[in-house]
Amino acid sequence: MTANPSSGSFCRRTRREFFWEAGGGFTAVALAGLLGDAFFARQTVAADGVSRYVNPLAPKPPHHPAKAKSVIFLFMYGGPSHIDTFDYKPKLCQLDGKTIAVKTFGRGGHKNVGRVVGPKWQFRPYGRCGKYVSDLFPNLATCVDDIAFVHSMYAESPIHGSAMLMMNSGRLLSGHPSLGSWVNYGLGSVNENLPGFVVMLDKTGGPISGPKNWSCGYMPAGYQGTVIRADATPIHDLAPPAGMARETQRQLLDQLREKNEAHRGLRLDNSELAARIASYELAFKMQEHAPEAVDFSKETQATLQLYGIDQPQTADFGRKCLLARRLVERGVRFIQIYSGGAHNDDNWDAHGDLVKNHSKHAGNTDKPIAGLLKDLKQRGLLESTLVVWGGEFGRQPTAEYAVGTGRDHNAYGFTMWLAGGGVKGGVSVGATDELGNNAVENRFHVKHLHATILHLLGLNPNRLSYFYGGLDQKLVGVEGADPIHQIL
Amino acid sequence: MMPPRLLLVLLLLLLNARGLPSASAQEQSKFPAAEVAFYEKEVLPLLKTHCLKCHGGEGKKRGNLDLTHREGILKGGDLGPAVSLDQPQTSLLLKAIRYQDGLEMPPTGRLKPAEVEVLTQWVMRKIPHPADRLRLQPKEPAKVEHQGGVVTAQAKNYWAFQPIRKPTPPKVQNAAWVRNPIDAFLLAKLEAKGLTPNGPADKVALIRRATYDLIGLPPTPEEVDVFVHDTSPNAYPALIERLLQSPHYGEKWGRHWLDLVRYAETNGYERDGPKPYAWRYRDYVIRSFNADKPYDQFIREQLAGDELPGWNPDAIIATGYYRLGLWDDEAADPLLARYDELDDFVTTTSQVFLGLTLNCVRCHEHKIDPIPHADYYRFLAFFTDINRYSNDRNTRSMSNLTDITPPEQRKRYEAELVQREARMQQLRQKMTQIENDAIRKMPAEDQRASEGPEREAVLKRQLKKFLPPPQDQEYFALKRELEQLQRQPQPERELALSVNNCNPRPPATTVLLRGNPRAPGAKVEPGFPSVLGVPDPELPEVGPNARTSGRRTILANWIASPNNPLTARVLVNRLWQYHFGRGIVASSNDFGKFGTGPTHPELLDWLASTLIEGGWKLKSMHRLIMLSNAYQMASTANPQGLKVDPANHLLWRFPMRRLTAEEVRDSILAVSGRLNRKAGGPSVYPVIPREVLAGQSMPGSGWGQSPPHEANRRSVYVHVKRSLQVPILATHDQADTDASCPVRYTTTVATQALGMLNGQFTNDQAAAFAQRLTQEAPNDLPAQVRRAIRLTTGRVPTAEEVQKDVAFAQQMQTRLGDQEGLRVYCLMILNTNEFVYLD
Repeated sequence: MTANPSSGSFCRRTRREFFWEAGGGFTAVALAGLLGDAFFARQTVAADGVSRYVNPLAPKPPHHPAKAKSVIFLFMYGGPSHIDTFDYKPKLCQLDGKTIAVKTFGRGGHKNVGRVVGPKWQFRPYGRCGKYVSDLFPNLATCVDDIAFVHSMYAESPIHGSAMLMMNSGRLLSGHPSLGSWVNYGLGSVNENLPGFVVMLDKTGGPISGPKNWSCGYMPAGYQGTVIRADATPIHDLAPPAGMARETQRQLLDQLREKNEAHRGLRLDNSELAARIASYELAFKMQEHAPEAVDFSKETQATLQLYGIDQPQTADFGRKCLLARRLVERGVRFIQIYSGGAHNDDNWDAHGDLVKNHSKHAGNTDKPIAGLLKDLKQRGLLESTLVVWGGEFGRQPTAEYAVGTGRDHNAYGFTMWLAGGGVKGGVSVGATDELGNNAVENRFHVKHLHATILHLLGLNPNRLSYFYGGLDQKLVGVEGADPIHQIL
Repeated sequence: MMPPRLLLVLLLLLLNARGLPSASAQEQSKFPAAEVAFYEKEVLPLLKTHCLKCHGGEGKKRGNLDLTHREGILKGGDLGPAVSLDQPQTSLLLKAIRYQDGLEMPPTGRLKPAEVEVLTQWVMRKIPHPADRLRLQPKEPAKVEHQGGVVTAQAKNYWAFQPIRKPTPPKVQNAAWVRNPIDAFLLAKLEAKGLTPNGPADKVALIRRATYDLIGLPPTPEEVDVFVHDTSPNAYPALIERLLQSPHYGEKWGRHWLDLVRYAETNGYERDGPKPYAWRYRDYVIRSFNADKPYDQFIREQLAGDELPGWNPDAIIATGYYRLGLWDDEAADPLLARYDELDDFVTTTSQVFLGLTLNCVRCHEHKIDPIPHADYYRFLAFFTDINRYSNDRNTRSMSNLTDITPPEQRKRYEAELVQREARMQQLRQKMTQIENDAIRKMPAEDQRASEGPEREAVLKRQLKKFLPPPQDQEYFALKRELEQLQRQPQPERELALSVNNCNPRPPATTVLLRGNPRAPGAKVEPGFPSVLGVPDPELPEVGPNARTSGRRTILANWIASPNNPLTARVLVNRLWQYHFGRGIVASSNDFGKFGTGPTHPELLDWLASTLIEGGWKLKSMHRLIMLSNAYQMASTANPQGLKVDPANHLLWRFPMRRLTAEEVRDSILAVSGRLNRKAGGPSVYPVIPREVLAGQSMPGSGWGQSPPHEANRRSVYVHVKRSLQVPILATHDQADTDASCPVRYTTTVATQALGMLNGQFTNDQAAAFAQRLTQEAPNDLPAQVRRAIRLTTGRVPTAEEVQKDVAFAQQMQTRLGDQEGLRVYCLMILNTNEFVYLD
């Protein structure tokens, strides 16, 4: 233990007492985080069973003034190849087809030699910053002056299951809350008619480990992500079953409320009962507001085109990006969209034919993502919306098999990019070696990315903690991590 | 890798660092001006740019390392001194900047070779510093913020480590209220605060409370009537007795245990594959509770059942305890994964049985409890004879399955089976080799596909083309033989998820510096937490035919001993928690200083000694607790209580609670009349809506289909899949299965209400409920309404209430037709607070 109390590396007694004070039902109402005294005081009072119910997802003040109000995390599941997209390595072109000594670690294990597969797309400079982007992203390339590229990311596992958990929850082991859960726990949700943490999945299916990727781990169930769809019933169980008219349901709820109030009359001190009554009213309002959020009928043709919704290839991801913007407008804190789902070439996991795989997935997403950035910008939303792009790892400079262009996983070095929400545009930080195999300069662990996201949202990554299992758990781990200052 | 001798030195320094004069005491002579200039011109700028931000320069001391002054460097951080003056070339600082031995500093990227050279020079010159940086100025005051990690005499006095003594129940003023000593302990504290305990709960509330607490189901209206009308003093004890004898008791209380031991039937991660026969462990737990198995025996079976003599299938099944955790079939770092698996044993065992958070000392000394770093590894050494869950991706392995068929029956097939299986394995190996040779010649996409579930399809389509003669003949001959063997009838035998094929002579255990499996420290022997002052156990002789190391029996016997200060206290505290909503120690998995102190320490000890005196039997403890006046109090509020003790720590009233996830689902099934009360056997799969399955990478994978009647069994029999939960259970705070779950949350959010209102399950059950009402009270809406209220709340409704509900139901029937209208009414009733909350 350091002597410096501000380092907050473990739970001090008063706070600990508070947690167990909450005792009784261990309700989500009472379990609060390290969010400052005002917040504590309010929650502690609510935990006494006397005071008014406070929604566990009610908005909470940040640690410091926030740059970003919302996050859109574009998760390129499967691991896009950084060296074929944004990390330009001319040297690799020269080595194409040559077998060289290089230490790699992927699904196929550790290897010491490999046949280089040169980048399969041309790179060209774009924007005022002159950033080189491959021909996979001709639309997105026009946005580079708004983007900060981090080329020196590294992660701890080159295996999908554990690497997904690391990118989403900061740990290789499951059971920990995901980034979106931390954000909702730390900041609450400003729109109680919509969930504060939503996930949009690929039409082929969820990612490996499914719901574990948006789980709230050891936190109460209210902090987990809600799967949302860009169609008429965006949330599971949102719509009443066929045959139940809204009016009928309202009458049911009125009758229910009357009965619940009668029951509560003798138990006025129990705030949980009031909470449950309130939750039905919230649910009713959500039924009204959530479909409105996915109703694109008032969007102009130009907007739909901007997102590529008029084209078959880009319509699906375009709708998700447009929905993301609409959710941001409605105050949803954390939105995650998966590009790619299920297994093999249904996602960015290009082991067999790199060209076929990446052409498909970049083709599906390039226009929609560019449209999202442009649309956010023209509406003045980009300043307060942080957009994050990347996968759970990158790919190797060498081929996985004796023939073919497929690349195995690479967690030693890969690229993520961020835009908006207080991030500098037109910058690139960090570097991989000349093969793009290892991050060598200004290396950033996944937890630095997480720290950056929390920081921009006004949360101190080293203070945001949750007491569990005898420890003050943090998204960035006990050692803590600082944001990537170079892009702020 | 560091030489072991150096590591030992580092470790000794590390262990002795606290409170000793620093190593620099003898090194305080000033450095020559040239040396100081070298530091200031060449070294300090480097340190400032790359190191000091985290290590001392800006108030941060990551890893407890301060590089701003010489003393800080020599004292070092959590890993030991950063620089060794005796052997400077082996200094950790140099290893770190060279990215050796798993140390990588600065983490943002390696220094340039010239920079490494400067720092190397500096270290070789014995890290010269200017006079004002020889040590911290002013000297840091010796703050003693806590006594964590060190066993001091004072630490040994901590309440939880004292022997359990049976206190005399205190004298109270209102002796008439005391039905048994529990009441005396509680009342004494209440009286001291001027509080009066609540009067008795009404009989309907009491039978609901007792029935849910013991069997997790609602009492039927008939059961309520019998109890309410029985005015004899024996009515309540008889009720408790009936419930304790119910086979549903084990289903309810077994579920509490399953929460604690992170029970799940799949492994998690990408494939989240099934754990074979995990359900046998669940049934074993339920059986054990129903049979009132003494808790000490229950401990011994789970921790070391495989070491018990004779054919004892239950004891083998019990060791499934070790196999319930997460297992990554494709770990990125197998060595780390091995230690993660052992950590799961240490964490679960120490928290569940002992209420100790030993998991906190995996990487360093305990921050607040007197548990040294080495204690973790001494405890871990008890488990090292257990082999990994599986050594390949196969979820069934030699080390996780045991044949528990009766020996007579087993004799009949074993020799032949062993021979046949060996031959089959041989054949498979040969075939796989030939297949793999061929696959390597196939196009990349086929190679890729062959690694997943499509392998068979690829082989079928392509293998022949890529098999040159005579390999093809050889291959197909092997295949024919294998198929022939596969066609032979399988003997009837029973397998259990368990530990098996242990390693009787496990390798030595060492401390791992900062928990890093690649930084081994001093060797340790199996031992108990040192603060308890128990001598290290003598390890048994491991004979030539030993099947295990015998260490786990030693651990089990120590935990299950009446002299263990923690075991009985931790268990009775859990019983209390499950009855009263909060433990006497609220942090029921943590009796350390991070947790809460006991609200009623004497009561805790009295209960613990009573448990031991009664032969560790749980049912007599239930009787004792439930027959107390305290348990039978009303839950109503009173102004005095709310004012003096709003959180009800002193239990002036009985606390209300929401039903658990399982109780919510089971109660809905019970009142709808669709609950299938069949016990035991493989788990069942209630319908999970398509939208929820869509979240899986292979929608629907790993979730079977059960016939409706089977799907309607109690929730304890629902398949527990780590990556997929039944919605109604998930939204009502089912236990998280990735770690021990000591306390359930009570979450109330809008999406939960959506599920209850619009979800398929509640809507289907509302229809069944309406059918039931129509059958039981045909053509009589008021009777149907009365019945519905009775089934969901137990109580007899008032005439006014019935009238209002009838009016609502009629309105619905007019609009939607009789059956659908009644169904909507039933849906409403299933959503009431009164149905899901207990007084």
